[in-house]
Amino acid sequence: MALKDKIADVFNEPGCDKNQAKSEKARKKGCSKPLVPGAAAGGCAFDGAKIALQPITDVAHLVHGPLACEGNGWDNRHAASSGPTLYRLGMTTDLSELDIVMGEGEKKLYRAVKEIASRYAPPAIFVYQTCVTALIGDDIEAVCKHASEKLGLPVIPVNAPGFAGSKNLGNKLAGETLLDYVIGTMEPEHEPGPTDINILGEYNLSGELWQVKPLFEALGIRIHACISGDARYREVASAHRASVNMMVCSAALINLARKMQERWDIPFFEGSFYGIADTSDALRQTARLLVSRGAPDDLVERTELLISREEARAWARIEPYRKRLAGKRVLLYTGGVKSWSVVSALQEIGMEIVGTSVRKSTEEDKARIETIMDDPHMYDAIPPRDMYRMLKDCEADIMLSGGRTQFIALKAKVPWLDINQERHFAYAGYDGMVELVRQLALAIHNPVWGHVRAPAPWDGEGRVSLAPPLRGEGQGEWQRQSRSQSAQPSEPLAAAPRVNPLPAPEAEARGEQDQPSRASKRRFAGHEAQDLGEC
Amino acid sequence: MPQSAEKVLDHRPLFREPEYQAMLKNKKEKYEGGHPDAKVQEISDWTKTWEYREKNLARESLCVNPAKACQPLGAVFAAAGFERTMSFVHGSQGCVAYYRSHLSRHFKEPSAVVSSSMTEDAAVFGGLNNMVDGLANTKALYDPKMIAVSTTCMAEVIGDDLHSFIEQAKGKGSVPKDFDVPFAHTPAFVGSHVNGYDNMIKGILEHFWKGKERTAGSKINIIPGFDGYCVGNNRELKRILDAMGVEYTLISDASDNFDTPSDGEYRMYDGGTTLDEMKGALDAKATLSLQAYCTPKSLDYAASFGQETASFHYPLGVKATDELLMKISELTGKEVPEALTLERGRLIDAMADSQSWLHGKTYAIYGDPDFVYAMARFIMETGGEPIHCLATNGTKEWEEEMKALLASSPYGKGCQVWAGKDLWHLRSLLATEPADFIIGNSYGKYLERDLKIPLIRLTFPIFDRHHHHRFPTWGYQGALRVLVTLLDKIMDTMDLDTNEAGVTDYSFDLTR
Repeated sequence: MALKDKIADVFNEPGCDKNQAKSEKARKKGCSKPLVPGAAAGGCAFDGAKIALQPITDVAHLVHGPLACEGNGWDNRHAASSGPTLYRLGMTTDLSELDIVMGEGEKKLYRAVKEIASRYAPPAIFVYQTCVTALIGDDIEAVCKHASEKLGLPVIPVNAPGFAGSKNLGNKLAGETLLDYVIGTMEPEHEPGPTDINILGEYNLSGELWQVKPLFEALGIRIHACISGDARYREVASAHRASVNMMVCSAALINLARKMQERWDIPFFEGSFYGIADTSDALRQTARLLVSRGAPDDLVERTELLISREEARAWARIEPYRKRLAGKRVLLYTGGVKSWSVVSALQEIGMEIVGTSVRKSTEEDKARIETIMDDPHMYDAIPPRDMYRMLKDCEADIMLSGGRTQFIALKAKVPWLDINQERHFAYAGYDGMVELVRQLALAIHNPVWGHVRAPAPWDGEGRVSLAPPLRGEGQGEWQRQSRSQSAQPSEPLAAAPRVNPLPAPEAEARGEQDQPSRASKRRFAGHEAQDLGEC
Repeated sequence: MPQSAEKVLDHRPLFREPEYQAMLKNKKEKYEGGHPDAKVQEISDWTKTWEYREKNLARESLCVNPAKACQPLGAVFAAAGFERTMSFVHGSQGCVAYYRSHLSRHFKEPSAVVSSSMTEDAAVFGGLNNMVDGLANTKALYDPKMIAVSTTCMAEVIGDDLHSFIEQAKGKGSVPKDFDVPFAHTPAFVGSHVNGYDNMIKGILEHFWKGKERTAGSKINIIPGFDGYCVGNNRELKRILDAMGVEYTLISDASDNFDTPSDGEYRMYDGGTTLDEMKGALDAKATLSLQAYCTPKSLDYAASFGQETASFHYPLGVKATDELLMKISELTGKEVPEALTLERGRLIDAMADSQSWLHGKTYAIYGDPDFVYAMARFIMETGGEPIHCLATNGTKEWEEEMKALLASSPYGKGCQVWAGKDLWHLRSLLATEPADFIIGNSYGKYLERDLKIPLIRLTFPIFDRHHHHRFPTWGYQGALRVLVTLLDKIMDTMDLDTNEAGVTDYSFDLTR
């Protein structure tokens, strides 16, 4: 199928509510929002396809194009592997000017594929189209077909050049590639069982898949293929043998879920591992669907037991943070599923959600937000200028977003927590939610915000007023405006010049310091106190 | 044999060769008469227990691995900050060789210091002759403009009186009457190098100021204090002061003396506070000390002439720099220029960018009292938690001040202050109550090896890494440098912890 037709097909997604709500004419136009020249924008279709497939760990990912497509995208997502590392090698045909002028691209691609096959002997090679090679008309499908026959291993063309559209479209085209070339081409290593599931749209970023895997395993549910976090080629190629699909990132791979249902009769549901209620819900739905597909009936009951145990454990661990976080206002700026799934958990501990962005969310996502938030402030994309203003006007105590917007928060003097791909902590499942709450507490109470918010202790002319200046901290512009004071340790001049010694604050009684046997406890307690205490 | 003239092996690979390994093993088994490995391990493990810690902390007489040096080292450092000044240490010459090697190994620069080379007869009959000959020889050989005299313990024990000796020497024509020979008694058995620094600075102030009439002016004097980072720090300080348009005299500035260019000319002396500046410094409006524990006597002396005085604890970090700039601004009426406000904003921006990596990291900090104070304060500014703050030369007063500082922030709550303790104490403390990182000097590398706690070198002496002292740690730019040093170690540690290929790849991240 030509790229144009493929895109039209992907856009006409019956599984997508948004699409179905449109008129026939509107549907023909496709659903990608027109890209606005001159406005800062996200990634391209190539990037979308690459991030959706790159977590398949044991295959080679070869980018056909000039160096930078791979150079810029290489190994930038923290998609973790429990074994093979081949996927992290940055492989590209590195086309030069001469290759492009002389049309040497296809030959070079074939030679590159051949080299990979002989040097690395991977179970498959994914070949990615890019803008330049698509423009000069390199037929990667033909080259891949030829190479597959010659070399005797699957060489899979991923035809999603950057100019085709948005990152989201690239995700979908990656799904199409799997449907066209991968899924259903192999049989599983093990005998398929009645409790085998696939998880679609989960990329194991920072190891999040591993936070939920034990939950499924505890129930005897086998994750047959995760597409594509920590995946092996054979798992993906035999994914058609699983009983149920769970779709995690709603907008990204809906076409894959729906077409797998059509072709292999695998039912799917949309769920999330972000938030406590959502994790429980995901387990519940998985169990229900599996039972409907022939798994033992007691699975439902065992799932409920596990849920009640894990929820109680998670809440008990979150409770200590309530005091520090209750009443704090959060602006969520992220895409798709995270917009609603985190909301309920944060509300549970008394945080106030002042807004959530729905720029990548589906109608269903939005509906869910409306049901869980009393007064939902849903934003589409917020232009940086507006975001800066919102934060500057103290409409939020913290922003949760991806790395690209962090600097807006910092410049607006508002704490920020990374919940997109570059985050260092995994936030999935029950454990992940506890971690998120802990990181929120740490970020909000970091002492650096005191410095960030306080102006330099001299006036705009650089003049020092003779009033004791350091005590001014804590009474700055920010604090006056802010409803909830971001508690800052006021540092009461412990280091005042000696000429004018000021009374040191009363030192804390720390009698236990001299009792060695309690020291390990003391240290721990010290940490807790710092985590939990008012600062 | 593995060693051959074709390719001579260094000791690192050489002693790993089988021949040497066999020889060492044989020697150990047959001749060393040591305890079995298991026993050694058992004792080693025991030294990391609470039981041993208590015994260790109960030590009264023995000091093991002190984190301090002696007074004359501080005096020699102070004297190195003046124009064409030769340090002359009255006493035994072996001590002087130590100061020179200490300073040389740290600064990677020559350090010219002479001694009066006292021997047994001088110890019995007094060192006057050594002083007389020594001053004459020093002037003849090294052509200094000033000779700054300090003492080793030997001269102190026999009670040589420097004032009288120098007068007598001048009387005997050793050096001209009007030649500048300031002096300070610097017994090593009292205090530490920070006191020696104070004594020498005071000695030099006395030499130039005593009996003079002060005409109050508008300039300010700044005494930087004993600082292994003086090369970077004093230059940064001068840059800041120049940016503010302040008229100042740095009293003792060794930044050029310990950083001479390689241009074919050997400079025994370079830069430093000129003798004329020292005379003029009496008329200053105020004298500031950047390290309170390095200058109590000097400041008192300046105050006795009616100068305003103020002291700080090492201007490292946001607040510490703020305080210094504001005091200077207040004293001089000069504004803090926009350029510095921007630098301040950039520092805070960098701290905010990296906050999540620094938050909650725990540290053991040791070194000189003012440094430990500043470092602990900056650590708390980054959201880190000092666990142990130790200064072998810390006093009771320092301990109180540290506790007040730590009590001012929730990040200081879990911290214990150890005044007068040594690095062997710190080993026990860290074995029982560990921290994520140690901040100190090169001597901390043994703690790092024993306890597997990464060491961050940020204070004097740094022998085993080069050129750190050429970059400032003071001011906003300096704090940025310290911030990067902390972050580098944190992330290097993280990389090292996850660098096993095929095993920990999932955390060996490209972007952190």
